[in-house]
Amino acid sequence: MLDKEWIPEGVERCSFGKFIVWLGLIGAVLLWGLYATIKIFANGIGVTGLDNYFGFGLWITFDLAVIALGAGAFFSGFLKYIIRVDQLKNIINLAVIVGFICYSGAMLILTLDIGQPLRAWFGYWHPNVHSMLTEVIFCITCYCTVLIIEYIPLILENRKLNKIRFLHHLAHNFHVYMPLFAGIGTFLSTFHQGSLGGMYGVLFGRPFAFREGFFIWPWTFFLFVFSAIASGPAFTMLVATLMEVITGRKLVDYKTKALMGKIAGTLLGAYLFFKILDTWFWATDTLPRMGLTFDQMFNDVYGQWLLWAELGLCGIIPAILLIVPKFRNIPALLYIGAILDCIGVCINRFVFTVQTIALPVMPFDKWYSYTPNWAEWATTFEIIAYGALVLSLSYRYLPVFPQEKKLNS
Amino acid sequence: MQVKEFKVKWGMVVDLDKCTGCGACMVACQAENNIAPVTEGSNKLRTLTWMLVYELSNGKDFPEHDIAYLPRPCMQCGKPSCSTVCPVVATTKDEEGGIVSQIYPRCIGCRYCMAACPYHARYFNWFDPVWPEGMDKTLNISTSVRPRGVVEKCTFCHHRFAAAKEKARMEGRDPMHLEEEDYIPACVEVCPTGAIVFGDLNNPEHKVAKLAKSRYAFRLLERLGTDPQVYYMSKREWVRRQGDNYLENEKTKGE
Amino acid sequence: MGLDRRGFITFLVGGAAGTLFTPVPWKLLDDVSIWSQNWPWIPKLKYGAKGVTPTTCKLCPAGCGLDINTVGKRPVTAEGNFSHPLSQGGICPLGAAAVQLLYSPARVKGPLKNNGGKFESISWDEAKKILAEKLSTQKGSGNVALISGDENGTANEVLAAFLAALGSSDYYFMPSDATAYATAWNKIMGGQGQIGFDLENSDYVLMLGADLLSSWGTVVRNQKAFGQKKGQYIYVGPVQTGSASVADKWVPVLPGKESVFALGLAYYILKAGKTCSAKGFAEFKEYVLTNYTPSKVQALTGVPANDIKKIAAELIAARRPVVVSGSDFGQGSGSLDMVAGIFLNLLLGRLNQPGGLVALPSVQAVDKAPDLNQLRQNSLINFISDVQKGAKRPDVLFIYEANPLYALPQGAQVASVLDKIPFKVSFSTFLDETAAKADLVLPTPHFLERLDDAYTPFGAGAVTYSVSTPVIKPVFDAKPTPDFILELAGALGVDLGISSFEDVLSAKAEKLGADWEELQGGQAYVGDKKVFQSALALPTQILSGGLKMPSSEYPIYLAPVARPYIGNTKLATPPFGVVTIRENELKGKDFYVHLNKATAKKLGLKQDKKVKLVSAAGQCKALVNITETVMNDVVAAPLGFGHTAWDDFSKGKGDNVFNVLTVTQEKPTGLYVWNNSQVKVVKA
Repeated sequence: MLDKEWIPEGVERCSFGKFIVWLGLIGAVLLWGLYATIKIFANGIGVTGLDNYFGFGLWITFDLAVIALGAGAFFSGFLKYIIRVDQLKNIINLAVIVGFICYSGAMLILTLDIGQPLRAWFGYWHPNVHSMLTEVIFCITCYCTVLIIEYIPLILENRKLNKIRFLHHLAHNFHVYMPLFAGIGTFLSTFHQGSLGGMYGVLFGRPFAFREGFFIWPWTFFLFVFSAIASGPAFTMLVATLMEVITGRKLVDYKTKALMGKIAGTLLGAYLFFKILDTWFWATDTLPRMGLTFDQMFNDVYGQWLLWAELGLCGIIPAILLIVPKFRNIPALLYIGAILDCIGVCINRFVFTVQTIALPVMPFDKWYSYTPNWAEWATTFEIIAYGALVLSLSYRYLPVFPQEKKLNS
Repeated sequence: MQVKEFKVKWGMVVDLDKCTGCGACMVACQAENNIAPVTEGSNKLRTLTWMLVYELSNGKDFPEHDIAYLPRPCMQCGKPSCSTVCPVVATTKDEEGGIVSQIYPRCIGCRYCMAACPYHARYFNWFDPVWPEGMDKTLNISTSVRPRGVVEKCTFCHHRFAAAKEKARMEGRDPMHLEEEDYIPACVEVCPTGAIVFGDLNNPEHKVAKLAKSRYAFRLLERLGTDPQVYYMSKREWVRRQGDNYLENEKTKGE
Repeated sequence: MGLDRRGFITFLVGGAAGTLFTPVPWKLLDDVSIWSQNWPWIPKLKYGAKGVTPTTCKLCPAGCGLDINTVGKRPVTAEGNFSHPLSQGGICPLGAAAVQLLYSPARVKGPLKNNGGKFESISWDEAKKILAEKLSTQKGSGNVALISGDENGTANEVLAAFLAALGSSDYYFMPSDATAYATAWNKIMGGQGQIGFDLENSDYVLMLGADLLSSWGTVVRNQKAFGQKKGQYIYVGPVQTGSASVADKWVPVLPGKESVFALGLAYYILKAGKTCSAKGFAEFKEYVLTNYTPSKVQALTGVPANDIKKIAAELIAARRPVVVSGSDFGQGSGSLDMVAGIFLNLLLGRLNQPGGLVALPSVQAVDKAPDLNQLRQNSLINFISDVQKGAKRPDVLFIYEANPLYALPQGAQVASVLDKIPFKVSFSTFLDETAAKADLVLPTPHFLERLDDAYTPFGAGAVTYSVSTPVIKPVFDAKPTPDFILELAGALGVDLGISSFEDVLSAKAEKLGADWEELQGGQAYVGDKKVFQSALALPTQILSGGLKMPSSEYPIYLAPVARPYIGNTKLATPPFGVVTIRENELKGKDFYVHLNKATAKKLGLKQDKKVKLVSAAGQCKALVNITETVMNDVVAAPLGFGHTAWDDFSKGKGDNVFNVLTVTQEKPTGLYVWNNSQVKVVKA
């Protein structure tokens, strides 16, 4: 069948029929999401569960989370191409694809999330240089372009495409310049992650998020960069493992996975040091200066358990599991550690997005809680399905995993 | 952040000991500023009210209980938390008079300013505005109608400010030196107890300038550093204490 | 020439790059920012010349002077008229929403005839014909009745004259404290003129139930007086209403027990040697001193005797105190409440004094109309009860600017009584509950579309007369009711001695000594005349009513609360009033009733739980809001919800508390009272 000619040489893939069924499943989710998307564009964001108190909700949390988890791309690239950790070549392609999915997915969500998507370009045309969000807009679009550039050579390496002389040379040239793009990507993504954190840290009207400045940056700028690179590699590794489970084939050797785990764990340990310091300073100095106490930051719904879960269960524990070689070398513990690590960063992004605005600042105001509605879930799953689609196609038709042939022979 | 100083600084002083919570200010504001009526109004998570009256309680049990009402327009902060975060310069504080502007055709609807404002003074148009048939004939021609997807907020009836300046110019007076009665926002004008007083905080001839210095005057969340141009006053200590966050053993400002 | 793959790609890329150098994408982007602001479905502003037309608000009896801002002769927004004594630039939330009500979806768009439950449009001539036929058989038989919701308009004189010409004296005003005062003051105490309160000049205002600063009487003017207050304001009532929230002191008293509290005060004031010259004083005094002793009053009202003593002392010490008694929600008081309040004023020597209780003269322009003050003493509830008992059998009922099906106590009984009346005609601007059940609906114009007036709205401290001038032609096919009635009288061959309604109003102005032109220009006439009293009497026999013990079957007192932004007895929540409804007043389709922690605990109720208020008269469903603004053993419930007619802005929201209000007969006046209803609160 024609399909066969496009599949990379020397690897096995499921039958085309099976693949179509799989795509059908993804397509069903995409259609559901598309329905919600149309509803939202036709009627307005009012069809979601967002409201006056929760202008940011699931979408922004999802964006922040996937962007943090997508940090595997830039950080692996940075380690591979700049620091020259050669072993990462086994997973770098996947890291780039995951990064691309995360960033492009986040941008798709943003078109839904802003009330006037047709004016999205105003961010370039009328930029407010004082706004962290301006930095975010610039970084996300530029870095997304970089990810596309990083993704293109991989596409060009498709068996059929690579036979075209021009594309073959183009792919080669891209590879030659990849360290440059990795460098630019690192710079952009670092600033992007940082400015996302900065977005919250600068909110001096929101005691839950406000963090005093380090020069012109609030602490959250660095904490977001740190937590992203502490979870991104773990997420990339988890995606590889998930693909192995689904396809039933070995794709990346355990040594590489463990290395990714080690990188994530080490960074997580370092991050936690600063995060705990920051939390302590916030609770004992920043808050009292605003006339508030640590206890007032929480209520029945958004309780302290979120903080303990983020820092303890999904912070210190995975850090230990990933740093200590004895634990890391047990696959189950490596994966658990990685999963907890990723959950931890999601909780962090959630509380910064939702709890920040749930906290009543005016003493006579009250806590409200936020529950996303179907329209937000549908569109969020739409993006996940979109990711699955890109990943499935890439896996089937592109030489993503250099070790695959060897590991399955 | 650079704080711009203005020669004229429009401000309000709301005497909470006079507000009965009647809601006339809210209705007048809606009509004046072309805010479309809605059928569901008690869910404040979705209504659009530039002016909103909050109910305050001293938290004590009957019969020691006391209640107060607090009308909340936009605070027109001296150091706005909202305008600095706007990615597209859709809201600024740069016009003489110190009113925080909102440029609807510029706003992309990202709602970052709403996340930034601790007063919940900013509102998003979740849907397109709808007036019952014929009711659009009562639209005020001085204010534009906003489509869905943009953020809006109280402007101290800025169009009245513009009109007052225009009138002063026509009459050969200095538009930078308006009298108190030249420029009055709709909510202030209709308030039946006169709880809201409006004027130039920098002009010693205006009542607000004096009232804002009263020992009973306070501003909401002053210690966050937003420097609001809306003042409140109450002789009741518990009311003043609810204007800001205090640690248990801290004294209320002015005590 | 074929296009190979490379050529195609070159064409695409080149084309894309080339386009960027044309104005097309940039012009499109520019246009996008314009479109995204002005979509065709966003209403456009309708420009025109700006103007201001002053008029008088008729949405409630307070009679505020309004300035209507117009654009191209269309009313746009409403503001208070600064030169009008009853608004002084202030406005209430209903007045502020008045203009938009012109286009309320609930408006009656033309005369309607009820054809077996379905309305069909008819012409005004047809309507006149139908009515003339109905009434020609009635002439002289007197089986016609009228309910008026206009408390102070001269339209009443035209309507009452018409009714009198048909041989009927069944003219009823919707019950209010104005009617309660008319009965207590004019009928029982033998007073002359209409009671008012000179709040502006008082240095101690004791509000006995009357929620002066939220809903009672000339509310905006009351609020203005408070805003410039010279002394203290004390609120006595079961709920911390708007008045209590700003008053210098809140004295919680069980609903309907304000009169007992007043007599408790009288006890101390009498003890202090104060006296008055009214007939029967000695006996009255004796009764108060023996029966309203501090311990008894404390037991009945829930107010510690010491507090009562303190307030009595403050009243005595004040230079210009005034006591305003009334119902917490503006209706349902008995004579005792009013007499007790008036008695305190008399004891303090405050009758017709600056800052005191004043008696204001009335003026009538239609010679053939009965005295309106007399008509105010007719009790609508007694009439309803008479019809139910079969003592009265009206064949035709006119309802003018009133919604008795919604806003009377014991709603179920009212509904069954109205069902018994074979032919009902509603003269209403809006399709309210009563209009929806009427046989004919003959829309009266919105007050911005008609000529009307307000003579000395109840509570005003001086004679005040102002006129509503039409600001716009009726936007629907509505006709002023007095005009229609004059036409109808003509068709019936009845001579009311009136040529036109406008003539009536200008005649009234002339009688007052006011300038008709100035009145039409929005200027109010204010007179300083007061009525001297020569034959005041104190009816001791009504005093026993206050000592009645509460019912034990319905252990919780119901305190209805009137909040104008929710609506009033004749108006449902206007479109622009909807957002003023608070979170603790309405949640989705359910409204809240309010009780404090202690009461909730006693009844085993939790926040947001569904409950039913059950009384002898009926029941309503609600959610529980626990708030300390209500005194023990009292459930506070907002009026104005539970509409079944009207439009989406009010229909189907919450339940109607009027249905739960229970009437009891006051001894020995025989008047019905419902400001002391008792209920059971049960889980639903």
